[in-house]
Amino acid sequence: MAYEKSDRQTDLMQGTLDLLILKAVSLGPLHGYGVLLRIQQISGEELVIQQGSLYPALYRLEHQGAIDSEWGESENNRRAKYYRLTVFGRERLEAETEKWRRMAGIMGVILSATPEEA
Amino acid sequence: MKLGPLFARLLAQPRSWFRAVLRRDRLEAEMEAELACHLEALTADLIRAGHSPAEAARQARITLGPVLLYKEGMRASLGLRWWDELRADLRFGVRMLRKSPGFTAVAVCSLALAIGANTAIFSIAKQFLFDRLNVPHPEQLRLLGWNGDEKVASFSYSTHLSGAQQYGMKSESFSYPVFRQLQATDRSMEGLIAFSDLESTAALRGSEKRLTVEAVSGGYYGVLGVRPQLGRAIQPSDDGAPGSGAVAVISEGLWVREFGRSPAVLGQSLHFRRATLTIVGVNPRGFTGAQTVQRTPDVFIPMSMYTLVDPWGSISLSPLTNSMWALEVMGRMRPGAKQTLVRAALDTELAAAVRSTMTLKANETVPRMVLADGSRGLHPMDGASAPLYLLLAVTGLVVLLACTNIANLLLARGAQRQREMSVRLAMGAGRGRVLRQLLTESLLLAALGGAGGLFLGYLGTIGIPKLLTGGQERELFQIRFDWGICAFAGVITVLTGLLFGLAPAWSATRSNVSGNLKESAQTTTRRRRGLGGKALVGFQIALSTLLVIVAGLFIRTLIGLNYVDPGFRTDHQIVAVIEPPVDLFPMRGNIALFQHLEQSIADLPGVESVAAMERPWPSQGWGTTSFATEADGADPSKAVEERHFGVGNTFFPVLGVPIVAGRGFGRQDTAISSKVAVINQSLARKRFPSGNPVGQRFNVGDAKKENWIQVVGICADTRDASLRIPPMAQYFVPYEQNVSANEVTFAVRTHLPATSIIPMLRSTVAHVSPNLPIEEIRTGKELVNESMMIERTLAALTAGFGVLALALACVGIYGIMAYSVANRRNEIGIRLALGALPAQVRGMILRESTWLAVGGIVVGMAAALALTRLVKVMLYGIGPYDPLTLTAGVLVLLAVALAASWIPARRAAGVQPMDALRHE
Repeated sequence: MAYEKSDRQTDLMQGTLDLLILKAVSLGPLHGYGVLLRIQQISGEELVIQQGSLYPALYRLEHQGAIDSEWGESENNRRAKYYRLTVFGRERLEAETEKWRRMAGIMGVILSATPEEA
Repeated sequence: MKLGPLFARLLAQPRSWFRAVLRRDRLEAEMEAELACHLEALTADLIRAGHSPAEAARQARITLGPVLLYKEGMRASLGLRWWDELRADLRFGVRMLRKSPGFTAVAVCSLALAIGANTAIFSIAKQFLFDRLNVPHPEQLRLLGWNGDEKVASFSYSTHLSGAQQYGMKSESFSYPVFRQLQATDRSMEGLIAFSDLESTAALRGSEKRLTVEAVSGGYYGVLGVRPQLGRAIQPSDDGAPGSGAVAVISEGLWVREFGRSPAVLGQSLHFRRATLTIVGVNPRGFTGAQTVQRTPDVFIPMSMYTLVDPWGSISLSPLTNSMWALEVMGRMRPGAKQTLVRAALDTELAAAVRSTMTLKANETVPRMVLADGSRGLHPMDGASAPLYLLLAVTGLVVLLACTNIANLLLARGAQRQREMSVRLAMGAGRGRVLRQLLTESLLLAALGGAGGLFLGYLGTIGIPKLLTGGQERELFQIRFDWGICAFAGVITVLTGLLFGLAPAWSATRSNVSGNLKESAQTTTRRRRGLGGKALVGFQIALSTLLVIVAGLFIRTLIGLNYVDPGFRTDHQIVAVIEPPVDLFPMRGNIALFQHLEQSIADLPGVESVAAMERPWPSQGWGTTSFATEADGADPSKAVEERHFGVGNTFFPVLGVPIVAGRGFGRQDTAISSKVAVINQSLARKRFPSGNPVGQRFNVGDAKKENWIQVVGICADTRDASLRIPPMAQYFVPYEQNVSANEVTFAVRTHLPATSIIPMLRSTVAHVSPNLPIEEIRTGKELVNESMMIERTLAALTAGFGVLALALACVGIYGIMAYSVANRRNEIGIRLALGALPAQVRGMILRESTWLAVGGIVVGMAAALALTRLVKVMLYGIGPYDPLTLTAGVLVLLAVALAASWIPARRAAGVQPMDALRHE
């Protein structure tokens, strides 16, 4: 039972995490740790991400062709794998951003509704 | 959306997957490096934030989380999970199969056998029984033939003559003038064509090649509806006066072999000895002519060129004369035409054609037209179609048996592994996962069996035609390996494997885990579960009984045929057939040539004696002439066709045919002495019913011409046509007195081995005349054996299948009894502990298997009694209910069943009660 529950949790996270990764990478090539830092930085450290779970998501996005990777030199002169947004990734980021905005807008309207007839 | 990116996106996942699979090591290393890089950066940041290095490293590892789990997640992201699981399943499957080599061997062999036997036999049968000519609408083609009573207007020589032993004639050959007239007068069919095959030698691009040639009438290509892939076809205008139309259309095979598909082939020449033909076209791929689908003639020529291309080259022997009925004729039906009407029309036309091209004697009748299906060509292998159907049936049974065996083995194994399944389920394996594992194992087994089957099938398609023809008729037919049939057989057997492999697993995974774990060898469930297996074994025994009885019948037939006395000797004998080319050796001169040859061979060291004869024995063909005894007088209605055979003076002693009255031939019988004959006993009984035939005279050939021959002796009957056919009436004349002698066969008696005498004979013949070809040279025994090739092959194959069936049934019985004993260890232990004697336990097990065997045998016997009468015509010397074969079959099956259950029974008797009880 416990297993199933954690599964659903990941599912819930996945969509969001994918979008966050795409956004982070859209600002410039980043390695895995860099993606994490960037997300934390943009979110003002409000989001806590299970660090390891970043990697299956990165691999999945790369597998789907949304991001591309390349080995390069890191800032402290170590070999690191840099991820970059592909053309398809950019399309997807835009589509998902749009979807997210609309969803957020709708949610905002619904949640801010006040009782009129009561 | 633009096409490029869309395409790239579609390809992205497969590409990434293949990259991951192919460079797995690199992928793992990169994953490791990436995570290490992350950890390092994180640690560095933590140290910067003020942690001690050790604390920072610890903290970093905690923050990163369970690395192994994430790595698994990364692999899953790349779609590698099912791949990894498949590999694990395969590894495990291989290990499981290796652990029980007996099971694996039997299952794989059963599968291979089923697929292989099926593929081979069905490929052959399909080609012989079902493949049609590769022309448009082959079903419209009709093969013309005729039949007649014993007084039918007769023809000096007919090919494809059959059924003569009933003294009626049936033939599919026509004379060229008759064909020409039919073609001119017939309106009932869309068109008529004639064809005849021959072999000749031609110089082709500078080297001599032996070519198979098909001489065809001008309308051949038009009526068949075939267009050459290159150049033009033979046209009606090519087939004019004899010797005109020096053109040829070659087969695709010859085009590829000799011309490398060059279009420059058109206009090249084929130099036959007496004619040069220009190649004008290349046949389309797969066109084998109208004769047969089994082989393709190399060259097609107009009928008008026949005599010039034929190496014999004699006008009187060519099929273009009135007397030679040697052409095959086919016609194409108009769509919607009624066969009975067409036949009636052709019948009238045939009668008219025969009357106008030949002079009929007073008592002679005209042949009646018969139409046969021509969609498969001449189908000269029709004689083998009954044996082929039998082989098909037997193969089908063996395949069924093999499938039963696989089912049986897998069921028993599945039941054995029920506990294993339960343990896995209990430890949390998903049901689908367990089923997939079993599926992988079944497929692995199927793949092994399939590979074996492919191999066996391939061997069979090569080997069986050799068996059927005895290798003497080169390229009589070739079997194409039929992938469709192989795939079909494969799918059937693999499905059996999957079905019976998965069924126990399915039920195992459905049932209650804890119940299965608790349950072990409980008697109640054992009985229920054992039932399916026992029914299968009973079925197997029934099938084996049937197969063993059929095999027995054919082995008895073969033994019977081996003991038939042909009436002539075949031991220590070499038979050489010599056919002098007519253009080099004019007919009249042949007799001197033959005498010279006979003398030269007789002078060879090691040759005890030599005899000349018209054809080698046993001989399928023979010549007949009108035969009237003096006592019959001038009454033309009494002149009936009789077989004649030209022989040398030494024929009777060398062949060991006893002279029962009068004398044989001797030196006094020469070309110029008075004409004499030796008749056999059948002819003496038939035509000289009263009085001693020796000294009497008979007239042969045209009744108006006096051609009297005196009977000087009577010889014993011989089965010279076939060992299966009772002796037929015939008379012998010295070949010197037989003017139409155009080929000769020498029977050489020697005690030298064949390998040393044959080269000597060849060099002797070459010494006499370098241009004299030896058509065939073999031992007398080989000739007799070859005449029984189909019986031999049938006996060998059915016996082989019978043994296989026995082996499969044996394994089946052993498997099911061993399994039953293993499952009942507990019960047997209790019985022994309570005082049962080991002999009693053994008896109990043996009794059970005996009942099983008896049940199966009874069913099998019933099936055999019902089915073996179908093979009656193929048997010789025994009836289909041969009691000896039936009894022997039953006893063999019973013995095998008992032997197969003996080991499990002994094992049961040897059970130690304490071990058995503790075992639980």
